[in-house]
Amino acid sequence: MKVLVVDDFSTMRRIVKNLLRDLGFTNISEADDGSTALPMLKEGSFDFVVTDWNMPGMQGIDLLKAIRADAKLSHIPVLLITAEAKKEQIVMAAQAGVNGYIVKPFTAATLNAKLDKIFERLG
Amino acid sequence: MSANTNVHVSLAEAKQLVEYLESGQQDKADELIAEIQNPINSELFAEIGKLTRQLHDSLNNFQLDSRLNDLATADIPDAQERLNYVITRTEEAANKTMDAVESIFPVVDTIQKQIKAVNPLWQKLMHNKLDLAEFKSLCVDIDVLLKTTDKESVRMHDLMTDVLMAQDFQDLTGQVIRKVIDLVREVEDSLIGMLTAFGITTDSNAVRSKPKVGDNLVEGPIVNAAQRDDVVADQDDVDDLLSSLGF
Repeated sequence: MKVLVVDDFSTMRRIVKNLLRDLGFTNISEADDGSTALPMLKEGSFDFVVTDWNMPGMQGIDLLKAIRADAKLSHIPVLLITAEAKKEQIVMAAQAGVNGYIVKPFTAATLNAKLDKIFERLG
Repeated sequence: MSANTNVHVSLAEAKQLVEYLESGQQDKADELIAEIQNPINSELFAEIGKLTRQLHDSLNNFQLDSRLNDLATADIPDAQERLNYVITRTEEAANKTMDAVESIFPVVDTIQKQIKAVNPLWQKLMHNKLDLAEFKSLCVDIDVLLKTTDKESVRMHDLMTDVLMAQDFQDLTGQVIRKVIDLVREVEDSLIGMLTAFGITTDSNAVRSKPKVGDNLVEGPIVNAAQRDDVVADQDDVDDLLSSLGF
């Protein structure tokens, strides 16, 4: 399974990559914001996107909307891992079609549980 | 001449007037006459004079307050540098820690693998079901395991010391951030002083304006979640909210 991790902080990308690797995801690419991620998604056959919300350039929520608006990408599950914690924003993400929402700071167990839930639903 | 009917000239004033006239100080004599004729004017002038002096002093103090100048030209740029230092140091610490942890992962995995390799024959030995050939094989495996564990535990110890030492950023960044907090407090005091000088009230009980948000309500980490009802407190809150929306 090919995963794209999008976050503007390299340390956070590294944490997420390590956790994902521990859970058996070995094919992981990185992008530092939505506008870098989107062309990568269009070119590569990614199966899953983990993204931050607040990034310079294109934000995670806008990346999510762009993915859902693109017929070739709209099927890709998207997990938001973000410090953004306003109820309004969570509702916004849900309406935009997010598959999971994790607030930072988070634990490995939370990530594991959300991934299980996402892939269980997708079957 | 009705306006002058109530004018009383004292002896002292008359003497002063004669003195001015004798010494040729016509201006002062005129001034005294005007004052005798209309005392209200002189009070008004005095009041205006006082206000002018106050304004003059305030403006002077304002210009002389070189601290403000220092704050703007030296301290605030310095604070930016300090905060950048915090970002650099915390990033370094995170990377150093992750370097060490990423080096430890495969070591632990190797030891785990060797234990798994040894375990079936070891169990047989424990139940007295081991033949000689198996025993020899087990001895070789255990020898490998002991040597690996011995060597790698020393390495892990070193790596864990690296993790420990990477935490020294907390002390340094803590000191730097404390200085920036002091600076922010000083700037706040100066701004309040300025507002007060211009007669603008700074009511500390005024309704706190909401924090600035960017596109898509972006605000960053919430530092006062307990005092707010528009944010979630933790992951459970997120999950509850999403399930209430049918997720």
